[in-house]
Amino acid sequence: MEATTVLIGLTILFGFYMAWNIGANDVANAMGTSVGSGALTLRRAVLVAAVLEFSGAFLVGAAVTDTLRSKLFDTSLLDPLTLGCGMIASLLAAGVWLQIASYFGWPVSTTHSIVGAVVGFGCVAVGVNEIEWGEVGKIASSWVVSPLMAGAVSYILFRIILVKVFYKKNPVAAAHRITPPLVFIVLTVMLSVTGLKGLKGMWPRMGIEAPAPALIWLAAVLIGVTGYLIAKKMLSRAHVDEHPENNHLLNSYVARGLEKAGMHLRRVADTSEGVIQDRAVALLEQVDALAADARHTAMQLPPTNEFREVERIFSYLQILTACFVAFAHGANDVANAIGPMAGALEAFRDGAVNAKAAVPLWLLALGGVGIIIGLATWGWRVIETVGKRITELTPTRGFCAEFGAALTILVASVFGLPVSTTHTLVGAILGVGLARGIGALNLTTMRDIVASWLVTIPAGAGLAIVFYFILRAIFIP
Amino acid sequence: MRTFAKLFGRSPFVPLRTHMDKASECVAKAAQAIDHFLAGEFEHLAELAEFVSRLEHEADRVKNDIRNHLPKGMFLPIDRANLLEILATQDSIADKAENIAILLTFKHMPVAQAIRADFRLFVDKNLEAVQAVREVVHHLDELMESGFGGAEADRVKGMVEGVALKEHEVDVIQRRLLKTMLAREADFTYGEFFLWTRLIQQVADLSNLSEKLGNMIRMTLEIK
Repeated sequence: MEATTVLIGLTILFGFYMAWNIGANDVANAMGTSVGSGALTLRRAVLVAAVLEFSGAFLVGAAVTDTLRSKLFDTSLLDPLTLGCGMIASLLAAGVWLQIASYFGWPVSTTHSIVGAVVGFGCVAVGVNEIEWGEVGKIASSWVVSPLMAGAVSYILFRIILVKVFYKKNPVAAAHRITPPLVFIVLTVMLSVTGLKGLKGMWPRMGIEAPAPALIWLAAVLIGVTGYLIAKKMLSRAHVDEHPENNHLLNSYVARGLEKAGMHLRRVADTSEGVIQDRAVALLEQVDALAADARHTAMQLPPTNEFREVERIFSYLQILTACFVAFAHGANDVANAIGPMAGALEAFRDGAVNAKAAVPLWLLALGGVGIIIGLATWGWRVIETVGKRITELTPTRGFCAEFGAALTILVASVFGLPVSTTHTLVGAILGVGLARGIGALNLTTMRDIVASWLVTIPAGAGLAIVFYFILRAIFIP
Repeated sequence: MRTFAKLFGRSPFVPLRTHMDKASECVAKAAQAIDHFLAGEFEHLAELAEFVSRLEHEADRVKNDIRNHLPKGMFLPIDRANLLEILATQDSIADKAENIAILLTFKHMPVAQAIRADFRLFVDKNLEAVQAVREVVHHLDELMESGFGGAEADRVKGMVEGVALKEHEVDVIQRRLLKTMLAREADFTYGEFFLWTRLIQQVADLSNLSEKLGNMIRMTLEIK
């Protein structure tokens, strides 16, 4: 009996440490981009992250938690004590591995460590053949697919913004036009993904019957339309400088037309005689002067301010996507702490392994709180550091990258696939880079990330096995 | 956490502009030396040449700094080789300016009245070409922001055409200058003639390099 109390204490301690670690280190990935681009101040970023990480963890976190707790192998093959010790060993292994990796500066993911650890423990506890390799393979392939998908979405989105906004003669007006539809798309897509699948486990727990999918979809569209209208209203209040006289001259058709007029007049002047030639020469001089003026005006107009205004408009959109990244991150990553913890606590408390039982709400809340505490004690500092380092990412770029990442992570979460937020966001940023959006990207980081995939699984597994045997020696007679 | 810090390299576009500014500073100082030379004030020339050399060295430092921050694995919105070539061309402009300033110190020679006006015009056109391409380099930031396409690319394309036009004007004046000099070859000593042709060639290279630089930047544009 006393041993069980100690074990429960250890579970909560290590689980909480894991949640703290996620809050301290990984939230920076979600919010650092927004702080870096200046869309959010540090204080606001921390507040937004705290609220949305918690909601994500609490509302949608159960699906991924279930995967980590009971889908990797058949937990009913084990006696509760073994399972509990194994889960503690997994938490401890992931924590230690993350500590080692961050000491050496390797781009290691929390998710990959914990999956590796649980699988490693499973291999020695139930045997290699009993592991659900199909499930493990699905998770592993999602690690490749998630950066690719995020990259593709971000690439396409940024190309659209380039063509629809930056290529235009008046980028500010174009940004005003495109913002409300983008708000609509972001809200509708994200909310319907969350509502249709993510909240599935939530309705019965709240004692509400799950609403019809059409109803959820309708609600998402309605909120999207509301966002559209609010964005439109806010933008109409903003002052739009149309520069009518400059834009008219900026037009390349004008320049080309004047060039052609000059060419034809020159031909007339060369081939004609007398009065006609004199008048043609006079006209030619006028056309040349006009063309020179047009060129002059076109060159003098500094476009920098216009682009700055475009970025300012997009910083609001980026706040929106940053919220979704924080939400999606909470939904996906809380499981890294809560999954093994839920498995262990159930085993100790009930003395029986029950894979079918729902993840208790208080555990999800505990994970959420752990993340917030990590954020408050250490994470904000990391956000500040990351933000300072990635000023390259302006709001238009940040918006695209975050949308791609948030959508991917959210989709993965509702399918119960634990993916790495960091790696997904890196994929999204590379997508923007491929669309010629970012000044300089270090591709050796990609090599390091791939290497970290290959190392983390065996390392997490090995450490989990070691810790499992130590715990077994101590607690299991 | 460190993953992002490592992912983002330092954007080369701002240092590239700094480097171009240094190069055109060299050119401005060399132009000042030419002014003194034309006015027959030979005493400051050595000092100015020294100064241009120092500026050129500063430009080299910026250049090496950019190169050091562009390792092989760096992914840029424009071709990395193209960017390094742009940098090398900018550097050649600084080198030319240094050559010109030093050539002027070799011999205290009079400027024949027959070529004086044309030479002045010739130098000014070259300076205009360098100035024009400097404007183009200054637009790289905006190009970067707008993905190297659209209205901004059109504008830069027009500016590059302006540089090419200047280079053509320089060619015309250069031919005229040489013709005048050959028509009066008796007025020059062999040494003077040699020095003049060298000087004219080096100055003309300023606009040649400017045109080349402009065209390299045009290669980065995304125009259908």
